Amino acid sequence: MAKSIAVLLDDKRLGEMKGSELENKVQMMFGGQLTCFILEMDDDKAKQVMDAFHTARVDSRGFITDVPIAFNRVLFEEIAKTKSLGAEPIDGVMARVSEIQEFAAKEGEYLPVPEL
Amino acid sequence: MSLVIETPPPHGGRLEERVVRDRELGRKLAKGCPVFDIKPTLDENGVPVRNVYREIMSICYGFFSPVEGSMKKAEVDRILKERRLLNDWVFPYPLVFDITEEDLKNLGVTVGDRVLLRIKGKPFAVLDIDEIWRIENTEELATKTFGTPEDNPEVVKEPFDKKMPGWVIYKSLNPVVLAGKFRIINEPTFLPPFDKYWFPPRKSREEYARREWRTVINHQTRNVPHIGHEFLMKNAAYMGDSEPCHGIQVNAIIGVKRPGDYPDEAIIEGHQAVNEGGYIKPERHLVTFTLWDMRYGNPLESMLHGIIRQNMGCTHHMFGRDHAAVGEYYDMWSTQILWGKGIPSFGFPAPITDVPYGLKIRPQNMAEFWYCPVCNEIAYSGCCGHDKEKEKFSGSFVRGMVAEGVFPPKVIFRPEVYKVIVKWWKEFDYPFCNPKYVKEKEERLEVDLPDMDI
Ligand SMILES: [Zn+2]
Repeated sequence: MAKSIAVLLDDKRLGEMKGSELENKVQMMFGGQLTCFILEMDDDKAKQVMDAFHTARVDSRGFITDVPIAFNRVLFEEIAKTKSLGAEPIDGVMARVSEIQEFAAKEGEYLPVPEL
Repeated sequence: MSLVIETPPPHGGRLEERVVRDRELGRKLAKGCPVFDIKPTLDENGVPVRNVYREIMSICYGFFSPVEGSMKKAEVDRILKERRLLNDWVFPYPLVFDITEEDLKNLGVTVGDRVLLRIKGKPFAVLDIDEIWRIENTEELATKTFGTPEDNPEVVKEPFDKKMPGWVIYKSLNPVVLAGKFRIINEPTFLPPFDKYWFPPRKSREEYARREWRTVINHQTRNVPHIGHEFLMKNAAYMGDSEPCHGIQVNAIIGVKRPGDYPDEAIIEGHQAVNEGGYIKPERHLVTFTLWDMRYGNPLESMLHGIIRQNMGCTHHMFGRDHAAVGEYYDMWSTQILWGKGIPSFGFPAPITDVPYGLKIRPQNMAEFWYCPVCNEIAYSGCCGHDKEKEKFSGSFVRGMVAEGVFPPKVIFRPEVYKVIVKWWKEFDYPFCNPKYVKEKEERLEVDLPDMDI
């Protein structure tokens, strides 16, 4: 069974999607007040993700959760770069595993402050 | 039959107030006494898990009335057997001033002596020693404090172990107990932002009288409030007597933090942001706190919460599923069992409000709120029948969103509340408590003390 992962979007992230086809793929949660992309991947790709990040797990709805914060951030960057919700952004993420793991190791001590 | 509910008396009948405000008298009381610098209680890895200064503060300012000090052996034994003080009033936990054998030797004190206790190198309180006794086995004390599946089958599901913070606190105690009454002789001042929210029982009762709040419902918190919490508070407050509760008291438990909690500063200011943003208007809402290193004892903790908030002048107390719980040690409804029908193995064959010398505050057991796209509202779990469609405010989901730096929508956090999280995130380089925060917090504590020459 294919696995999914949700990528949360806020106004800043939505702004980066302006004009692209992905604008039509935005999904609504909480009555439309929270938006996200749902990215699907086949079992092969899911296994790569699970193998690379030990905290990751699959919840009852088939969503991959508990990945490092840096994973989510890099995944959005790759989506923004490739303007795709297919295999390309996941491939992009897997090419940056060591970078993500380096951030993840420090996530218990430091997380970058968002700009308001 | 009167349906009107009045402010309950303090637990034990009168408020304990053990703060000497006459500095000359304070000096006189401490003059010539052996001096002891209060140290944090450390677990087996050297991590601070408790600071007894918080218990001294809560005792001397009356939060734990009628407790007056560090308990004698007979009192601790009675609490472990039937959860009552020697004067018969119900109380859940042993509270002791514990030191090492070496400390005792250095102090050279005996029964009848007075010790001057210092924090941050400054005089703080005195302890008049009534009894010196020893804890033979701290692990046994820890286990007896929280119960076992064999002895307390109504509520305890799994034996306690070192993943349970309260159990670790009791297991980590030093063996020698100096039992006796405390008196604060040099009143501490709270560091910001805590200073604005210090309403010990005498002051909170005066405040509610001034505001003409006859009924006040307490919300226990150790969280930055999201919309689910806000709806819980607002809706629980519809229960009062002939009209909804006049006031909502938020009482944050401030003490040793666990990694992953929100910082205390963000918790207290986050609640205040609900008030200042007008989501629960200031006229109906007061943010307060109590110093206490949480024991996570679910039904026992709920008893302590009831005592604290009754002493503060509340008529009602909100309790939820897994109240003050960690892990799966207790049945998730243990608190409701204590307040609903009693826990005989803890000494209560009837609800804790219906036993002699019991509590007078009323429980309010509301379940949870979630967002429902079909109801098109923040719906109460007891009403909304859209099980498939509901979207819960799951703690891990909300925390993940915060950690990622995604600006949460209004349906999850009020923007004013989120800005408080970010404010303290900037201060501590982290949105939650990490090991660095925990370590620095236990050095800084919540107070400073004025100089006092003795
Ligand atoms: Zn519904």
